[in-house]
Amino acid sequence: MDVVKEQKSPRIQRIIAVLWPSFIMASIGTILFFSAFDPHSLIDCGDLPDISRLGVYTIGFFLLWAITLSSCLLTCYFQRPCHNTTHCGD
Amino acid sequence: MSTPNTPDSNNSDSLYAKREKIYPRQVHGIFAQLRMLGVISLMGFFYGTPWLQWDGRQAVLFDLPGRQFHILGITFWPQDFFYLAVLLILAALALFFFTALAGRLWCGFACPQTVWTEVFLWIERKVEGGRPQQIKLDKTDLKHKWLKKTTKHTIWLVLSLFTGITFVGFFTPIHELWVNFFTFSLGPWENFWVYFYAFATYGNAGWMREQVCIYMCPYARFQSAMIDADTFIIAYDEKRGDPRGSRKKNEDHREKGLGDCIDCSICVQVCPTGIDIRDGLQYECIGCAACIDACDDVMKKMDYPSGLIRYTTQNALEGKLIHLLRPRTIIYASILMITTIMLIASISTRIPLEVDIIRDRNALYRETDEGLIENVYILKVINMDNIKHTYDMRISGIKDIKVGDNISTITVNSGEISSLPLRLQVDPANLTKRSSKVFFTLSAQDAPEIRLEQDGRFLGPRTR
Repeated sequence: MDVVKEQKSPRIQRIIAVLWPSFIMASIGTILFFSAFDPHSLIDCGDLPDISRLGVYTIGFFLLWAITLSSCLLTCYFQRPCHNTTHCGD
Repeated sequence: MSTPNTPDSNNSDSLYAKREKIYPRQVHGIFAQLRMLGVISLMGFFYGTPWLQWDGRQAVLFDLPGRQFHILGITFWPQDFFYLAVLLILAALALFFFTALAGRLWCGFACPQTVWTEVFLWIERKVEGGRPQQIKLDKTDLKHKWLKKTTKHTIWLVLSLFTGITFVGFFTPIHELWVNFFTFSLGPWENFWVYFYAFATYGNAGWMREQVCIYMCPYARFQSAMIDADTFIIAYDEKRGDPRGSRKKNEDHREKGLGDCIDCSICVQVCPTGIDIRDGLQYECIGCAACIDACDDVMKKMDYPSGLIRYTTQNALEGKLIHLLRPRTIIYASILMITTIMLIASISTRIPLEVDIIRDRNALYRETDEGLIENVYILKVINMDNIKHTYDMRISGIKDIKVGDNISTITVNSGEISSLPLRLQVDPANLTKRSSKVFFTLSAQDAPEIRLEQDGRFLGPRTR
């Protein structure tokens, strides 16, 4: 009895599937968020340390990327098959 | 026989194959020349533009901290975000149009990934040699190849760093950026983004190459939806080429029952994504036309007519006519043209003035000592022009409406926002409604075409 083996996508594809879409969405999110909210206003209202605008954009982007990255990781995790599809020849 | 279900196992039962490095063979031909032309102009444009000056400042500067985008003579503000959205839609429409016409022209000739990978591959060829030399070098041990590999990666890294600096130079004036970077006096965040972008360039163009096109690019996934049987694609003429086989040069191959394809597989060797175009158009094909150049070269040597692999349409291969003008292309072209004209018209007739009226919410209204009804406002005036302006202000909407302190002009410097507290006073006899619309009209004294009318609300007591 032949064993049915799932063909796994290349490792690089799986790595890209987590890193790249999260990067795109984090970039879009950063642009939209900081178009609406000026970093200096945030620093004033939030009592945050005095960093340059570019610094705020950078930190904001990486925070957002961390969140979207977690989302992609979870998606990939939940895509794992639930049932054991391979059976030994019985 | 049972086999353990181990992921990523390298045993003979595993269907997962480790990626083999692709060594594209060098090509010469008309499409290779077109691609080189594309590389030179696009790279020239990218590396050259930040150095251009306009009116004492950098011509193209996306001043993120200052929240202004400068493109030649025009300055875009966050309020102009709409134009950016329309520009993106235009770019997408143009892409769809060209794809419907001739497939992945973008991928093969214009995409930055292709352009930078071309340059990196060229450097690799210069350092390590042609395809056979590269394959041989990779098989030798580290002791013999470290010098060439180090040279190649160093040149790659230097080019990547230059690319990173140039990219940041679109956001920070490049003249200072260049000096500051090399004297280590650049701000930490600018430094970070230079290295980040340099690393991305090095990684994508040096290491990833065609894997970006295959695994990362969203366009690669959906471009086939815009291709129909009348789109020009790169195709192998199976009817002419098959059956394939080697033969002597001046032999009559048709008598032997052979087609024009001599099965030299050079089309496979030149392919940057490593496919065989003779199997038909595939997902991985980026439309670079290297196979066309390679095959034409071979056909010439064999004294056969060129075009065994050529740009053609599916219908044409089946013997039908070529349909360049069809509903799909006409509609794309029309929408593209209309949207472009509208965008240009909109930007050129843009009024570089923005007025916001904020009514004081602390009180509905107040009564002055003379018995007039008064509303308090803050007037925000943004001068989006390149020069200072003084604006005449006129209020209308209620009969004999007066401005407190008789303010009638406001001066704002170029690129600045002015907040002006304003009091409007009205004789209660002239008030007909509890809530009336009032109009603030501002016009520049030195440029009457800069004129804007904004409305606000004037609240008063209940009228009889």
